[in-house]
Amino acid sequence: MSVATPAELEAFRDSVRDWCRSHVPADWRTAQTGVGEDEHVAFQKDWFQELRQAGYAVPHWPAEWGGGLSVAEQIVLYQELAAHDAPRLVLAFVAIHHAASTLLAAGTDEQRARHLPAILEGEIWVQGFSEPEAGSDLASLRTTARRDGDHYVVNGQKLWSSGATHSDWCLLLARTDPGAPKRRGISYFLMDMRSAGVDVRPIRQATGEWHFAEIFLDDVAIPATQLVGTENDGWRVAQATLGAERGMTMLELAERLGHAGFRWLLDACCRPVAGGRPLDDPAVQERLAGFETEIQGLRALCRGLAERHETGAVGPADASIVKLYYSELLQRMTDFGAEVAGLPAQTELRKPASSGWESGAWVLDFIGSWEWTIPGGTSEIQRTIIAERGLGMPRGPER
Amino acid sequence: MNLDLGPEALEYGATARRALEAAGGDELLRTAEREPERRDDVIGSLLAALGAWELTPREHPEELEAAAALCRSAGSVALPYPVAERLSRSSDLDADGLIVVSDANPAAPIAGSALRWTALDAEGRRSAVTACVPTGPARTSSFVGRLELEPLDDRGAGDLALAVVLPCWTLLGMLDRALELVRAYVLDRQQFGQPIAAFQGVQFQLTDAEVERAGLEELAKYALWSIEVGRPEAADDALALRLAAIEAADIVFRVAHQLHGAIGFCDETTLSWLSRYSGPLRRLPFGPAETGDLLMRRLGRSGLVGIFGGGS
Repeated sequence: MSVATPAELEAFRDSVRDWCRSHVPADWRTAQTGVGEDEHVAFQKDWFQELRQAGYAVPHWPAEWGGGLSVAEQIVLYQELAAHDAPRLVLAFVAIHHAASTLLAAGTDEQRARHLPAILEGEIWVQGFSEPEAGSDLASLRTTARRDGDHYVVNGQKLWSSGATHSDWCLLLARTDPGAPKRRGISYFLMDMRSAGVDVRPIRQATGEWHFAEIFLDDVAIPATQLVGTENDGWRVAQATLGAERGMTMLELAERLGHAGFRWLLDACCRPVAGGRPLDDPAVQERLAGFETEIQGLRALCRGLAERHETGAVGPADASIVKLYYSELLQRMTDFGAEVAGLPAQTELRKPASSGWESGAWVLDFIGSWEWTIPGGTSEIQRTIIAERGLGMPRGPER
Repeated sequence: MNLDLGPEALEYGATARRALEAAGGDELLRTAEREPERRDDVIGSLLAALGAWELTPREHPEELEAAAALCRSAGSVALPYPVAERLSRSSDLDADGLIVVSDANPAAPIAGSALRWTALDAEGRRSAVTACVPTGPARTSSFVGRLELEPLDDRGAGDLALAVVLPCWTLLGMLDRALELVRAYVLDRQQFGQPIAAFQGVQFQLTDAEVERAGLEELAKYALWSIEVGRPEAADDALALRLAAIEAADIVFRVAHQLHGAIGFCDETTLSWLSRYSGPLRRLPFGPAETGDLLMRRLGRSGLVGIFGGGS
């Protein structure tokens, strides 16, 4: 991976800008508001291919697999995509981050060769981790995988698998040794969602969307070649995946928050309401200044984490600190957006599909912000990790 | 000075809650969302049978307390009916209910109501109301529709305090219930081989929410008492209560959602319904910023009198 000089970095920025000007569809927000699921999926897949052809879809992957941008270049790319209000890759998120990092860290050569190019072709992935009785206490999961010749037979139920209805493949955790201590009997599988016995049922959320889903697994046969790592070593492999969610994914999200989210917030503050613009109120100015400061802090944290990731110097709590910082900042910013945009914001209950976590439909954005403080390790779990692994506090009950 | 509700009022509130439970409890809201046009028939009649519309809270202190207790019980099931608003009706106008409105975008959750409504703004101006049909279904509108106002008079300043305070009692009932729900959930939900309530990090969030709820309860009683004894600053106390109620609701629902996890955002849980239908009470007629602003303008530099500040 080359390290760009400042001049090269600026040249790269210019080329990204040029690309954005000619490729970001001007009307995508309008076109993606109120669209059906099929249209949304088609749009996401098309946009992914546009980015891929430019070399922007998986900049964080190694060069041999189609990535290879330095951290500095990735930051520039994410800044410009956000500044040009480009659609986000919401559907490919698990594939390009969690699936890829798992395959790169723990997959076999055959698994990488099978799946990484397929992800670039548009395969969608979903995470099959949580279960009704295994949320924060993920290691207590009960879905079982029993070895039978050259395959495993899987039975159980997964919950909160966002986007499962459109997914081709699933990152699945299942118990292979019911007798072992709970973290030592889990294995990590790649499961084809078209396998017989896989039943996906969408869950309606309070917002009226059907983003969450349950996955029921009834005697699903998974070839043994789709085991990642060794049998019963799935917990360790999963930590690598969750680490990716907590860590590297933040680089894009922090730049998105700084270059798009904050701008939407400023827009909301500049809209005239009875008695003037919110922006003219010193209390509003103070809040905005506070958010701007926190965003700069977040961006610095993310950059530091990404750089340490490259040199292998990531601390045990670093990724949790970033996730906690981002999620709670996002929640406060979207809450403020809902407040400052006033009554009209309360009835703006449609947001463009493919938009970021801060779309400007503030009430939905605020509700959506809980998708950061609850999944991927709740804020409570992050605090526990920071306390125990970061600060060396005594460990709580056995996890 | 005793700020607690009298035993008759408490008994009336408890009777109302039992009657609401017997009539379906949380199911009343789900049914109303499916059949919004039957709200008056089903819920209006149920409350009439409880004698709710015979209460005259502006005339009789005991009935004022009973009205507050009834609103709290209605809040506990997020009753999709303008109970507090009907009980707030002006005594000198021939109308069925009174709604406080903001001058910009007057709106209220009375969509489809066949009753006669009066609107009142913070300056004491009263208007006759035509309730417009909401643009979306109840699920997204929460029965809130725009109001068209026809000015009547500017003699409503004395009506303001009660019309602000009673909806806060409804919201208090919602917070009572949210805490009941989250308390039951953390005691029941097992993770790491124990109820998540065993974790101090969970307990502390719950206690912060309870402190907010308990503080709001005391303020709600105080603001009611301020009306009951006819204190001149009753409207200031009412707005202070409203500000505290909105802030407490933010904290209580935030904690309730975080501790419920993803399931709290699905309609399988009562919390999802309760939090959704708390929205109109928290943002109408004024949200936190406008309520604070209004209060500041009324108080100027004098501040609130408070319980021990003289007054009587």
